[in-house]
Amino acid sequence: MIQTHATLITREVLGAGQELRLYAPELVRQLRPGQAVLVRGGWGADPYLRRTFHPIALDDETWTLRLPPSGDWAHAWLRVAPEGTELDCIGPVGNGYHLRAQARNVLCIGEGDAAWALLPAILDATASGLTVTFAMEAGLERDLIAAMRLPAAVEYHTATPDAAGRGRLPLADMLAWADMLLAAGSLDFYERLATEIEAVRFGVIEGFAQALYPATFLCGYGACQACVADVAGGRRRVCRRGPVFDLKDVTRVR
Amino acid sequence: MSVELAPGNKRGLTLASPLIAGSGAVGYADAWPPGLTAAMFGAVVTGPVTLRAQRGAATPRLAEVVAGFALEAGDHNPGYHRVLRDHDAAWRRLGVPVIVALGQSHPEDWVRLAQHLEEESGAAGLELVIPSSAGRAEAGTWISATRRAATLPILVKLPVASAEALAETCVEAGADALVIGGGLPAVGRVVGPEGHGRDALWIEGATGGPAAFPFMLQALRAVAALELQVPLVAAGGVTRLDDARRCLGEGASAVQVRSLCWIDPARVAAIAEALGPLPSANEENTP
Repeated sequence: MIQTHATLITREVLGAGQELRLYAPELVRQLRPGQAVLVRGGWGADPYLRRTFHPIALDDETWTLRLPPSGDWAHAWLRVAPEGTELDCIGPVGNGYHLRAQARNVLCIGEGDAAWALLPAILDATASGLTVTFAMEAGLERDLIAAMRLPAAVEYHTATPDAAGRGRLPLADMLAWADMLLAAGSLDFYERLATEIEAVRFGVIEGFAQALYPATFLCGYGACQACVADVAGGRRRVCRRGPVFDLKDVTRVR
Repeated sequence: MSVELAPGNKRGLTLASPLIAGSGAVGYADAWPPGLTAAMFGAVVTGPVTLRAQRGAATPRLAEVVAGFALEAGDHNPGYHRVLRDHDAAWRRLGVPVIVALGQSHPEDWVRLAQHLEEESGAAGLELVIPSSAGRAEAGTWISATRRAATLPILVKLPVASAEALAETCVEAGADALVIGGGLPAVGRVVGPEGHGRDALWIEGATGGPAAFPFMLQALRAVAALELQVPLVAAGGVTRLDDARRCLGEGASAVQVRSLCWIDPARVAAIAEALGPLPSANEENTP
């Protein structure tokens, strides 16, 4: 983990969101899909807390963060920071997704804004020659990740379920096909996912599915105890044990 | 610039620098932010320790307030036995004094904890965190009992709101030094995924960050004016070199930083360098 400055090199406005591409080669060398970076959104003492971002794109020297539509004041500062601004970053935080050597068919499942964190993992998986299917749920069609953001070889399924849960992703076939699953969403989403896996695969087997825990970090290195979560084994610091957990560890305690 | 925090105690507590890593800033001296080492501090205060393991406060624990945050971790810790098993050897090698913070949730356990820590650990001192609700009689009773149980230097951390009222009692009861700060309540709105998708989620906790500084400074001045003849330590919202110097100028012998280690370790390193000289601690022991 390092504290470093990342230079804002490009800003892309996409609907109500923005994507900021940041030059930070030293950080990027250590950063893996699913890990977090803590970014200050301002120069002064307010807002004091760093904001937690998971990269939505990684290349040799840059990483990209996504600012979702929100009223958050640190996001607002980042939204108007001019190109060339030096952003104070600490990272990488915790453990990211890892691709098992034996995996061939990788299913990536995301829900809402959290799904963006899967994009670098999808690129890694396709670059490694794995077959990837991406499935995403969002409340509105406009919140779905555009298909053009994905490699051509990736099969893409989308769903926009209503408030009652009608119109959700039909996961059974996909779960039967996959030999590895990467997920990003809410804890309720993971609970539903675990239930579906149990129905299709007769149990959530350790090592099959990885889930990005939805946490906000204060220090990111295990001192402050702000990010603790109840996972298998007890109450643990997400920044040390996660943020990517085995799905079994996240769901069986709920 | 060395500092003696327990001049009235035979064991003494000499710091090579007036900058202290406040309670839990580096966990149990096992969680170091990038760029910081033990050698940059005069002492390290651990996270809270209790007799038995504590699960701490419910989650989420963190919320934002103007120029700071509200954090309610409770006394989350695995209990003194496991803390010593996992960390004591490292404390003995650290090269700077380690002060163990005794959790405020069970002050009735401080006597037994102090005995255990004195006999079984490499702790150089104890920090007793007085709960905000405590009055003079309770604080005096807890401190004098702990004083009788152990010879280790005792630092008593006073809540900002009652620091002036409790200070004299604490010194009479046996405190070697007073730490001014803590116990400042804040209510804030949860940021991040825990706070999304529902009505605003608010939590109550202790204030961290620069928002705490003016209140701590006022309490420091009030306690300094009592001229109690014990060293004072400022602990609350110190986030700039100017803040640290101001506290030292207002009567503090040392300054604790905590949230700044979490938010901006590079600035802590700059403050440490400015307040130096650096002690000759064993840097190899701090990852």
